[in-house]
Amino acid sequence: MCLYFNTPESNNESLLFARLEARRCLKDVEPRLFADDGGPDRGEVVEVYGPEGTGKTELLYHLLCRCVLPEAAGGLEVDVVFVDTDYSLDMFRLASVLDSGSAGSDDAVLRLCLSRLLVVRCSSSSQLLLTLHFLETTLSSRPRAALLLIDSISAFYWSDRSEGGASVAKQEEKLSRCSELLGRLLRDYRITIFATCHPIRRGSNGPPSSSEADRSHLCRAWQRLVTHRLVCSRQEAQHNPANGDEGSGEQRNWQVFTVHCSSWTGTKGSRVSSFRVTDGGVEFIWTPRPPPDLSAVL
Amino acid sequence: MKLSSGMCPGLDENLLRSLRAADIRTVEDLVSSDIEDLAQKCSVSYKALFAIRRVLLAQNTAFPVSGADLYEELLSSTAILSTGNPSLDKLLDSGLYTGEITELTGGPGSGKSQVCFGVAVHIAYQLKQSVIYIDTTGGLTANRLLQMLQTETNNTDEQMEALQRIHTFRLFDVGALLDCLYGLGGGGLHKVCVGGGSVKALIVDSVSAVIAPLLGGKQNEGMSLMIQVAAALKTMAKDFSVAVLVTNHVTRSSSGEVQPGLGVSWSHVPRTRILLERVESGASGRRSATLIKSSRQACLIKEDFDLQWWSRAEGERGGETSGKRKLDETDT
Repeated sequence: MCLYFNTPESNNESLLFARLEARRCLKDVEPRLFADDGGPDRGEVVEVYGPEGTGKTELLYHLLCRCVLPEAAGGLEVDVVFVDTDYSLDMFRLASVLDSGSAGSDDAVLRLCLSRLLVVRCSSSSQLLLTLHFLETTLSSRPRAALLLIDSISAFYWSDRSEGGASVAKQEEKLSRCSELLGRLLRDYRITIFATCHPIRRGSNGPPSSSEADRSHLCRAWQRLVTHRLVCSRQEAQHNPANGDEGSGEQRNWQVFTVHCSSWTGTKGSRVSSFRVTDGGVEFIWTPRPPPDLSAVL
Repeated sequence: MKLSSGMCPGLDENLLRSLRAADIRTVEDLVSSDIEDLAQKCSVSYKALFAIRRVLLAQNTAFPVSGADLYEELLSSTAILSTGNPSLDKLLDSGLYTGEITELTGGPGSGKSQVCFGVAVHIAYQLKQSVIYIDTTGGLTANRLLQMLQTETNNTDEQMEALQRIHTFRLFDVGALLDCLYGLGGGGLHKVCVGGGSVKALIVDSVSAVIAPLLGGKQNEGMSLMIQVAAALKTMAKDFSVAVLVTNHVTRSSSGEVQPGLGVSWSHVPRTRILLERVESGASGRRSATLIKSSRQACLIKEDFDLQWWSRAEGERGGETSGKRKLDETDT
């Protein structure tokens, strides 16, 4: 006896194949963020860490758009499941980024892209755990789903800590269970996960790799799952004369955001990239590639 | 969530006892465990246990929604509420958006409460919608609201009607605030709507007054309560399509600059943040508002505005705007 929906595709055989069939690999989802060919492979987890106002949400929307846009517009045409724990998904902003990504084509394309997105809202870590169990059936019935976005994984940190009382093990129990379940979903369905994490204390203004405050405060089970870490920070607003856009002659203060990427699998490496946020979404600023690390070859 | 009998058909006392013996006490335990194994241990049929698991899951999970449906829903239910002051509206990209939390932050005397009064009066009188005003500082008086209304209209009936659309709650601790928010969320909103005009705005002045005393030290209670308040406000905003406006105090960072209070964990709760400051020179009513967080506009736009805007009669407002705007205020 199995659990499935009443769609034409649902029968025992297609469920089995949905598990075995390879989902789209997302290594090339955003090569400018990751070190050479170091994008997240199937079954890997990317944690996007950074304080408020550092462009994490914009990055997420950028990745989302890249995934759902049709191939003709440069997208990957995969389904995305978005788990919203913060109640912070801004559909209008997402729609405007999609619009500019698909070069302002008609409504029908927008609706088609949005229909590839599935949004789930959770209000507590218990509900998150139960929802992840439920999502297993969703994943089986949607073989095109290759990306699971969680915004954010640290939303229930304080509630769990307070409920757990004095015992650290109890405090971390719920998130540990969620992490174990996510691990199983990664192994069985070979999806990729991107999750945002908010810090709990203000970091120093030094370079991200040396800052103590950027260490993850979440439980070990989650930290073990993470294979790539993107640490976002914001630089001081630069006074740049308008670069030929609109000809208004106004001084635009461009906020530049930096992302420091560290990876622990395959090509171990790191990369620093910068971007700014425009009306049409994230715009990467070209930075010279770091020279290849010869010591890794020898 | 603890398992109890009667939660779903088939979950009776006997089964509960055998589950407890197998160390399954909560819904999460049951859903996470291996059903075949459990069925053997508790000597129940696999089918029955599987059915119970399915019902419990269906009852307690969040249901996934397609992005296209969500977008349609938002298109039809989102509204933008003008604050009544064109300079502020310009910063906010036309006004307060329903479904979002906007934060006004500033030091003492920077005019946060005055702005809240003005917004409440504008929404109640001009936009003819109901407003819920939660006052935690004791600064709200009906007289002040009436004064502001009297500059809008001389008709006492209209004034009374507008005053009736502003529903006030006076609370001074976080427990009362949470009770009030949960009460409103659980059906209280409908009771509050009287004489037409649904509730479109919820103002909490100030949210830091009830939370700041709980933070700091080794206790986690304070942080957890703050997150609960944030979650309650967000749920109200999203589920009932209400524009939430909150006020916050300021603190100084280690480098000496002014920053909003309540720390890092609160900083991602409001979608938009505006910092109010006194203007050094100029008339006593002038304030400057800086946009410090926004998902729609480039940050750090500054606008000067007049705190007395809402108290001036219509005719006097024309020339009082900052240099950037040339339009007179038009009625919405």
